[in-house]
This record gives sequence, structure tokens and C-alpha cells, in this order.
Amino acid sequence: MTSLVSMAIFVIGFLVLGVNLKHVQIDGSANYSYANARQSVRRVSTAAPRGSIYDRKGRLLAGNRPSIAITLNPAQFQRRTWEQTEAAISNAIWHVAAVVGREPQLTERQLKRHIRQSLAMPLPVWRDVDFGELSRFAEHEREFAGFGVEDTEERIYPCGSVAAHLIGYVGRAEVERSSGDTKFNFANRELRGRSGLEHYYDSYLRGVGGEKNLVVDARGFAHGETVVKEPLRGLDLKLNIDLDIQKLVEKELQGCTGACVVMDPRDGEVLAFASAPGYNLQEFVPVLSNELYDRLSGDRRKPLLNRASGGAYAPGSTFKPVTALAALNEGIPDSLTYECTGVYEIGEMKLRCARRWGHGPENLRTALRNSCNPYFCNLAMEAGTNALVSAARALGLGQKTGIDFGVDMAGVVPDDEWKRRQYGCGWYVGDLAQMSIGQSMLLVSPLQMARLAGAIGTGYLAVPRLKAGEHAELKPLPFREEHLRAVREGMELVTSAGSARSACEGVAVKVAGKTGTAEVGTGANRRNNTWFIAYAPADRPTVAIAMVIERGESGGSTTAPKVGNILRGIFNG
Amino acid sequence: MARYLRNFNYLMFLAMVALIAIGTVAIWSAGNARAEAVFHGMWKQTLTTAVFGLAVYLALSAIDYRKVLDYASPFAYALALTMLVAVLVFGSKIYGGRRWLWFFQPSEVSKLCIIMFLASFARPLRQLGFAGFLLTGAIVGVPLLLILAEPDLGTALTLVPAVIAMMFAARIWRKGLLAVLAVIAAVATAVLCLVYEAEKPGVPPARRAAVLQWVPLKEHQVKRVKVFLFPEEDILGAGYNLRQAKISIGSGGFSGKGIGKGETNHLKYLPQAISMNDFIFCVYAEETGFVGSLALLALFGMLVVPGAWVAFTSNDERGECLAIGVSMLVFAHVYINIAMSIGLLPITGLPLPFISSGRTFLVTVMAALGMVQSVSIHREEAK
Repeated sequence: MTSLVSMAIFVIGFLVLGVNLKHVQIDGSANYSYANARQSVRRVSTAAPRGSIYDRKGRLLAGNRPSIAITLNPAQFQRRTWEQTEAAISNAIWHVAAVVGREPQLTERQLKRHIRQSLAMPLPVWRDVDFGELSRFAEHEREFAGFGVEDTEERIYPCGSVAAHLIGYVGRAEVERSSGDTKFNFANRELRGRSGLEHYYDSYLRGVGGEKNLVVDARGFAHGETVVKEPLRGLDLKLNIDLDIQKLVEKELQGCTGACVVMDPRDGEVLAFASAPGYNLQEFVPVLSNELYDRLSGDRRKPLLNRASGGAYAPGSTFKPVTALAALNEGIPDSLTYECTGVYEIGEMKLRCARRWGHGPENLRTALRNSCNPYFCNLAMEAGTNALVSAARALGLGQKTGIDFGVDMAGVVPDDEWKRRQYGCGWYVGDLAQMSIGQSMLLVSPLQMARLAGAIGTGYLAVPRLKAGEHAELKPLPFREEHLRAVREGMELVTSAGSARSACEGVAVKVAGKTGTAEVGTGANRRNNTWFIAYAPADRPTVAIAMVIERGESGGSTTAPKVGNILRGIFNG
Repeated sequence: MARYLRNFNYLMFLAMVALIAIGTVAIWSAGNARAEAVFHGMWKQTLTTAVFGLAVYLALSAIDYRKVLDYASPFAYALALTMLVAVLVFGSKIYGGRRWLWFFQPSEVSKLCIIMFLASFARPLRQLGFAGFLLTGAIVGVPLLLILAEPDLGTALTLVPAVIAMMFAARIWRKGLLAVLAVIAAVATAVLCLVYEAEKPGVPPARRAAVLQWVPLKEHQVKRVKVFLFPEEDILGAGYNLRQAKISIGSGGFSGKGIGKGETNHLKYLPQAISMNDFIFCVYAEETGFVGSLALLALFGMLVVPGAWVAFTSNDERGECLAIGVSMLVFAHVYINIAMSIGLLPITGLPLPFISSGRTFLVTVMAALGMVQSVSIHREEAK
């Protein structure tokens, strides 16, 4: 009897266990598997290789070089206590250091922090090892259980300082996770654009980070990994920049403070984009050191400033074609003659001409050639402020150019409203006179002026484009063709018989241009910012250029010869 | 010899051999997960011990159990008492208890000694009626208290159902026995209710202490009951072991992760100190899944049900008592061990027969089953 009852108890007991085991192992399996994964799997993000930047002919401007780190896997040094583990790791590191021949770039604090915070991750002990160090390590690798090598990438800028402001530089930040993702347990660091094109096209160049899972034990040591998602390499960026022209431009800017932009006015392709003084991008990798940053940002000449699209200058006489177009558009004939006496008087104010005793009678073309101040003051008086302002805006001044770049200064085209807002007083006739010769409160960037020069040459305004293969955005100018022709003829006279005659001698094609000498500052700080804007060939422009040199002598003697050299470099040979 | 082969219970024997094989693999897997190299070879020692145990098994099955009971049981009982006293005095202290005397655990051996002793005096105890009941209580109670003093609650617990089953089989004061059972059940229920009242969320400490003074358990035992009642409450502290045990078993799923591939075990989430002993079912169930768990239950069923059958077919009450006691002891071990691993019972330390790595227990169980085999072989056959 007891035996039979026992048998029943045994059978019922095991049935109860079986049913409950089914509950745990079948019904609860998914939950417990998830709990198991959650406690033993760590999600790690991996960086994607960054895309390179090339010029229009495929020459490398920014790329990556492999950087190899010797790393240590803490799991291999697991001991009973954390102290013993730390000691084992330190001991092993010194062992390897003797072979590698370099002291580890790792402080005791960093080691402790790694063990505490990212135990499952490999710990880089020697970063960026050279070939000798690596081969010495590889020879003995078998003896060093727990050590390995890890491939990473560092940015390189093979051209150094060339187009430094344009290309920009990178820093490192944790790999960005796609939106909606749950948090990573450990995030690797990826290259992230900090300025210039590296910044503007960052998401394009960066690619998409990958993901892997580390399996960790109860103490947090890693025991294997699985790749969940391979990182997706960033895209390469091909620019419209022509490295030859860029180098030519930078050679001319050497030693000066200023900027120069060269573009194709037909479609807005930017061929060269330079600002001086510059800096060597190679010094910015692997990281921009605080000392270098302090030195550059403390420099009086402001090398970090991108003057090409971010420099705000008075255009000086290079604005005169705008005044001319405004007047023509108002119906003032190009044959209008005005007698230059060397000075233009508005009430108390006297505006002098460059030639002390005056040019005598001038028409529009000769006035452009001679850069005659009184003529254009008179023209402005006839045309009025609104005409000047709308002509300047039609030529792209006072607004962003729309270039695919982070720095795109809008500049200032002042009018009554603007002056009231800024200075609290109204617009005077004197302001109009000043504006007609490019002084007043006008502010433009070299990029805007290159665009403007090209627009006069072609008859339409192009949005500057740095990235190759983008569609051109063109906007016809609201000026009649014969008005444009009058201004073009005046600008052609500048290079054939005017202030840029000697500078443009020997250029294989006919050049049209305009020099400018903007006086800025007062007293001891009084100085000239000297301009030259041009397009060539004059009849069918393929190149538009604008250059400004700070503290030059005059547009004709300082800037125009440099532009002449550049144009000879582009068109001759 | 012909009688030996004819009456030999092959099912029981084969189930035992299969369980030993499974146990060896489980110990191999659990041992490999340990950092200390000494555990990596544990499976070999277990196998060697099993071979020794097999010799004991075959020897005891060949000898008539009546002779063994007659000659050995009083000495065995005396020896058990001596060892249990000795272990309290000389035993080495491991994990907060004195359970080890040199190379073995007296508490495991003493359980068989008590069963043997009770079996051999089944008849006189019955004849004494209520006095026999009291005497049985004393015979079991003295070593039980010594075991509890080590302390080794788990081992003591498994002895209770075995003894009760034997008392039913021997018909010792049967009338009162049911009442005793009822009292045990009532006390257990009362303890659970009191701990629930004391530990449920939001009970102020003063009230908790006031309720717990009526509970005859130590603080760490109260904690285990609390984990049993509220398994999700403190999964990083007191509830960690149970939580990890359930994750191991549950994540095994239907067919398991493969022999030697148990993640929670190899990544040391499963508490390492007890993964080879009390929690070895988790290691096994994770690697073989629900299929493996059921197979294991079936093998244990093939071990204990024939044990009860041997008792049923034995027409000697000593043999019946012995077989029923041993079967119930093994069943209690299996049931409590697996039930605690999945949270059906509070966690307590006791080995899973043949699967856990305890060698004293392995030899003890094999010796006990050898004697059950002997009961089967030496039953009085109808002429």
C-alpha cells in the first residue's frame, strides 16, 4: 500500500516538475533568453571609414591613413581580485614595452578607469605605432597572450596648408547612433568634421557607424564578439577645386593678408578658394592641440579667419560697375558726360578724385577706366539710393551666395532702413555718394565679388558650387544687354588702358576687370584694402576672379599684378 | 547466480548508469567554467568515484540485505552519531558550516545509516505502538538535530519524507502519523504566511521583527523564504541566485544550447560556488533544454518507481522499509533540488543525485541503491 502511494507520489511529483519546467523552459524561454542577453551582451558602436576629398582632377586633398594600435584584452588577465588583475596587466604591459621599445601611453589612472568603465573593450596601450615597433611586437606576439593590434584611421591632408580654410579639419566624437536606437553600452569614437568642408559635408563623408555585440561574463570581461552591422564607409567628396589653380593662387597670396576666389561664372564651379595667412592641416592631426589652437587664435593676423567667404570688406572702386549698371537701368544714357574737377562737393563734404586736378570730361567707359570718383558720385545722385541698392542686390551683394559651405557671409548693402536700425539716424546724400564709390557702409566678401565679376561678364548670376557634379543654379541679371555691354567695355578698358594695364599684359586672352582701393580705419590705423576683380576671356568668360589684399598700396599696383600672374597661369600654357 | 540475474532490476541499474554518465558530462561542463584549474578535472574524479561506487553497489546487491541489516545497522547508526559529533568538533569550516570531516560529509552517510537502522527495527517499533512512534522520533531526531547544528538544513529535510514513508510502510502508529503530517503541513503554511506578512512591501521594521519572532528560522533562512515568496524583488542581492538559476534553465529553451555551451554558466553569471553542486541542474538544463530536463526526470522516474516496486514486491517488511526509504530519499533530493532551481521551493543546499559533484553522496546513494537491488534479488520467491 505505502509502496503504491509512494509510486503515485513519485509520478505526480515528476509531473509537477515537468509542467513547471515547461513553464520556465518553453513558455518563459523568450523572456529568460532576453534577460540572459541583456546581462551578458554589450552593444558596441563601430566607426565607419571616412570618405576622402578630391579636387576636380581626382587629386587627394583629404584622406585616411591606417593607424595601428597595440591593444590589450583585459579578459586574458582576469584574476581573483581587481588588484591582482590590475597588477597582472601592468606587469604584462612592461613586459611588452621592453620589446616594442616605447613606453606605454597609459597612466595608472587611465588603466584603472578602463577597468572600471569599459572592461569589455580592448584597451589601446600604444597608439599609432610605427613599422619598427609593430614588427618587433609581431615577432614576439605569440609570447604575449592577451595583446593584439587594432586598425584605426587617422586623417591626412597630403597638401598640408593648401586650401586649409576650405577643407577644414576633424575631431573625434562618439559614433552617432541612428535615431530611435537604444543606447550603446560602449561607443567607439569616430572622426567628425569640425570646420570647412569636413564640417559642411560631414554626414556625407562620415558614413554610417556599425554595431557589434560583445559577450561579457558576470564580472564584465569580454569573451567574444559578433558583428551585428558592418559600418558603411563614408562617400568620397569630389570638388570643383582645381589644385593647380589653388596652388597658383596661394603662391600669390603668400606673405599677404587677404583672400582670393576663382570660379567659373558659367556654372558657379569654384576653382580656387584661398585665404591668407593659413595654417598647416597636418598639424591638426591626430588632434588639434591646445597650444596650436591658442597660438593660431592669438595671432594678430587671424589665420583661423576664412577671409574668402567670411571676410567683410568695403569693395571700394570695384563697386563702380554696380553704380554704373544702376544708373543705366534708371535710363541715364552711357553717353552722359561729366566734368571731373578732382573733387565732388555735397554741402560741407568734399569727395576727392584719385587724380588731384581732375580727369576733365568723362563718359561712362572712360570713368570706369580712370576710376573717376566724381563721375560716379554724380551718377549716383542721378540714379538715387534705391537704384543702387537694388542693382547691388541683383548682383548678389548683401545676401548669402548659397555656396555649399558653412561660412557664407551675407555682407551689407546699406539703405535708409538699415542705417536707422544700425546707427539710429537717417540716410544722407553723403552716404549715397560714398556708396557710389564702394565706401560708405558696404561690406562684401571676395566670394561675392568673384561671383559679381562673373555675372557682369556672363549676364547671369551663378550660385557658387564646391562639390562637383551638382546642377548649376543660374539667375539672369535684370539689366539690359546693352547696359551690360557698356560696363564690360569700361572694364575691358581698365585692363587695356587703365589701372590694370601692366598687370594684365601678356595674358593670352582679353581680360576685363576693375581695381579697387578701399580706405578703412582712421588715424594711425588708416589703411588700404586693395581689390582686383576680373573675368576672362572678356568676350566669353570662363574664369571670374576676385582678390583682396589687406594693407596694400593700391588695387592697381598691389592686387592686379597678382591676379595677372594667376590669369597667365590659367590661360598661358 | 541464476537468481541474481533473474531478480536483478535492470531498469533501475541502467537508469543509474545513464544518470552517472549525464552527471559526468554536467560536472565536466560546470567544472570547465570555473577559473580554478582544480575543477577542470573534477569529472575524472567523479567517474573514478562512480567506479568505486559501482563496486560497492554490486557487492551490496549480491549480499543478502537482511544480513547487512542484522550485522551492520547498529554499528552504522552508532558510527553515524559518532561522525556527526566529530564533524561538529573537528570538521573544517566551509561556507559558514561544519560539514566536512577529512574527505567526506558525515551527514550524507548518516542518512543511509538512519534508514538502515529504522528498517532493521521496523517490526519491534511497530509493536510498541505510540511508544514506537516516540522511539522512532528519538532515533531520527538525535542525528537530525546534529545535522541541523552543522547546519545542513537541506540534507535534514530530505530525511523527513523518507522516514515518514518508512513509518507508513512499517505501520508505526499509523493513526497518529496522518495527524503529524497535518501538523507539519500546518507549521510550514504558518511559517510561509508569517514570513509573507513580515516581508511584504511596506512593512515597518518594528512590525517585521514582531512577526518574525514567531518564525523558527534563522535570518538567512527567512531571506530565502522571502526570495521564494517575492522572487523579483532583490534580483541583485538575495534573489540573485534564484534569478540566475531561472535564466539558465529558461534560456535553455526547448533543445538547449549544446553540451559545454551554457552561457550563463561559462560566463559565470550562475553562482560559481554552487554551480557544480546545488545548482548543477541549471547547468544541465541550459545546455540540453526542456528535452534534456524531461529525459532527466524520466531517468529519475526509472530509478525511484522501480524502487517502490521492489518495496511492493518484497514480502519482507524490512526490505520494504529499506526500499521505500531509499527511494523516497532519492526522490526528495531530486524533487527539492529541481523545484528550488525553478522557484517552486525556497532555496536550500542539497545535491542532485548522480549529477552533482559530491562524492560522499554519490557513494552513499549507490550503496543505498545497491541494497535496494539486494532487496529485489533476495525476495522470497513463490515456490
